[in-house]
Amino acid sequence: MIESPFVVVEGLHFSRGEKDIFRGVELQIPRGQITAILGPSGTGKTTLLKLIGGQLIPDAGCIRIDGEDVHALPRKALFRLRRRMGMLFQSGALFSDLSVFENVAFPLRVHTDLPEAMIRDVALMKLQAVGLRGARDLMPSELSGGMARRVALARAIALDPELILYDEPFVGQDPISKGVLVQLIKRLNDALGLTAIVVSHDIQETLSIADYVYVISDGRVMAQGTPDSLDVDEDPRVSQFVHGEPDGPVPFHYPATDFFSDILNGEGRP
Amino acid sequence: MIGRIVSFGRRGCEVLEALGRAGQFLAQSAVGIPSREGWYLWLRQVHFVGVLSLAIVLVSGLFIGMVLALQGYTLLVDFGAEQALGQMVALSLLRELSPVVAALLFAGRAGSALTAEIGLMKATEQLTSMEMIGVDPLRRVVAPRLWAGFVALPVLTVGFSVVGIYGGYLVGVEWLGVFEGSYWGNMQGSVDFIGDVGNGMVKSVVFALVVTWIAVFQGYDLVPTSEGISRATTRTVVYSSLAVLGLDFVLTALMFGGFS
Amino acid sequence: MKRSKTMELGVGLFMLAGILGLLFLGMRVSGMAFTAPGDTFRLEANFANIGSLKPRARVTMAGVTVGRVIDIELDADWYDARVVLELDAELEGRLSRDTTASILTAGLLGEQYIGLTVGGDPDTLADGDTIRDTQSAMVLEELIQQFVSNMVSD
Repeated sequence: MIESPFVVVEGLHFSRGEKDIFRGVELQIPRGQITAILGPSGTGKTTLLKLIGGQLIPDAGCIRIDGEDVHALPRKALFRLRRRMGMLFQSGALFSDLSVFENVAFPLRVHTDLPEAMIRDVALMKLQAVGLRGARDLMPSELSGGMARRVALARAIALDPELILYDEPFVGQDPISKGVLVQLIKRLNDALGLTAIVVSHDIQETLSIADYVYVISDGRVMAQGTPDSLDVDEDPRVSQFVHGEPDGPVPFHYPATDFFSDILNGEGRP
Repeated sequence: MIGRIVSFGRRGCEVLEALGRAGQFLAQSAVGIPSREGWYLWLRQVHFVGVLSLAIVLVSGLFIGMVLALQGYTLLVDFGAEQALGQMVALSLLRELSPVVAALLFAGRAGSALTAEIGLMKATEQLTSMEMIGVDPLRRVVAPRLWAGFVALPVLTVGFSVVGIYGGYLVGVEWLGVFEGSYWGNMQGSVDFIGDVGNGMVKSVVFALVVTWIAVFQGYDLVPTSEGISRATTRTVVYSSLAVLGLDFVLTALMFGGFS
Repeated sequence: MKRSKTMELGVGLFMLAGILGLLFLGMRVSGMAFTAPGDTFRLEANFANIGSLKPRARVTMAGVTVGRVIDIELDADWYDARVVLELDAELEGRLSRDTTASILTAGLLGEQYIGLTVGGDPDTLADGDTIRDTQSAMVLEELIQQFVSNMVSD
């Protein structure tokens, strides 16, 4: 059975100030799979997630989640839609005034009328899934970066969302916690059958779990395909990015005048 | 020349735009329907901005009352009118000093902390993630703080007045030897509960709203970097001090200026 | 959410302190008395000039506050000031009919208040009666005028 894609992005244009961030991005995120969005830093990947979450409003184009146009929804319906989404922020974004347990219980408390005992069970279940049930009484300031991100993951899945957005889940992690997160994302996806969007520039980790990959650069989708097909892509820009070569079509140097003449014509020279 | 006028006009537009945002922000966060949990969040903020500011406000009040009595005595004793000391201390405290000084202390102690706290929550994406969980941060984070400040400052102002009048009593009666009966008697004869205590409280309520509003808005609207937070904190103290002093003049003119 | 008893207690005490403080400002500082109406009785007194006497000024007897001025108005028949006094109920029926009411000044520039001095009449004043024997406020300008005219006539 061919299902309609869960998230559809059509002709997305967005600019911040004078700078165009997206110039006609087209994406289709299939249901129940992990889709990775790759791209060099500064291409607005986080912005894309915020657009999907309805926190930013595009200049043109539309984003549909399960058939609903995110930016045409009234505020109430948008909040209802967000309840079906989880988002893992780059910094974890745990509420610093609540303990680990309360952080995970937070979405349950505000969106459900479950009795306290049930909330406790569900929150502990989610913490168990990320392996941090023993850390429930710690405050976020006492956690390491990797642990904070795992707690944030437990919070993101507390309401059993259908769609989960990962914003740079691997950035700034040591190899062990990177491995843990890769495993977690994969396992959650398999076990809960949720649709996942992973935004990242950590290519190896991302490619190892993604079912489908989009590469974004210069405000457009530069390449797309399965991880295997991207690995052998002929396009020099794609291969530069995927294989992490320092110089290539994406230049190492910020645009400048000729180095030699710049040195010779230096100002303040006698 | 033209360029200067253009940049002046642009600055004007920016100021108006910021005012508009601040107004919309106030309207959105103030109308939240309080829930069971909202009540508790509010309580916690009253503790933070009120109870924890109590010490600095009371100590300042005591000193200001004592200084007022000392200065007032040396002035009044020349006219043989030192019996009017109580009246002088009480009226200057109730009408002017308590609302204004308490509001300034509040801006420095609680306002800047509110800005920094909300700013840090913004910088660490806590506000964004709250929105993604489907909770409106204006209701959850801003509204309890706004209402807590609104309640806490008038209470602090009352404390300031009481302690100040007691400080005046200590210096005037216990130390300088003004007759106790005339200290209280003159005070009671001249202080009007509605006209003086009441108007002072009205001032205090207005200042509370303005100072907390500026503090939470600056926190919510700042650029989420460490430099942005420090700038916004400074702005909170500067703007709210100016607003308090300016509004105090307007309110005094309306209340005691005989325009009624 | 984790609840903290000390925090709740702190906020409770804080609010309570605010209410008590307001009560202090009301009673001790602005001298409002929350006594039942039955505890007082009223007398009237006409003065030729009340100076700067204000409502809520003290009424004293031998220096002790025994009541307050509650109303001042112009008596259109006599063109003088009618002052209504509210006195402690325990004085009702104990002030002689020839009691004197005079407007006094606390210090040179202090507030003005009313001092009562009892006479020797066996009859006493009851609620609503009028004190006949009154002494007007001392007005500085009139005193100086008198003094100057005395000097001239000497």
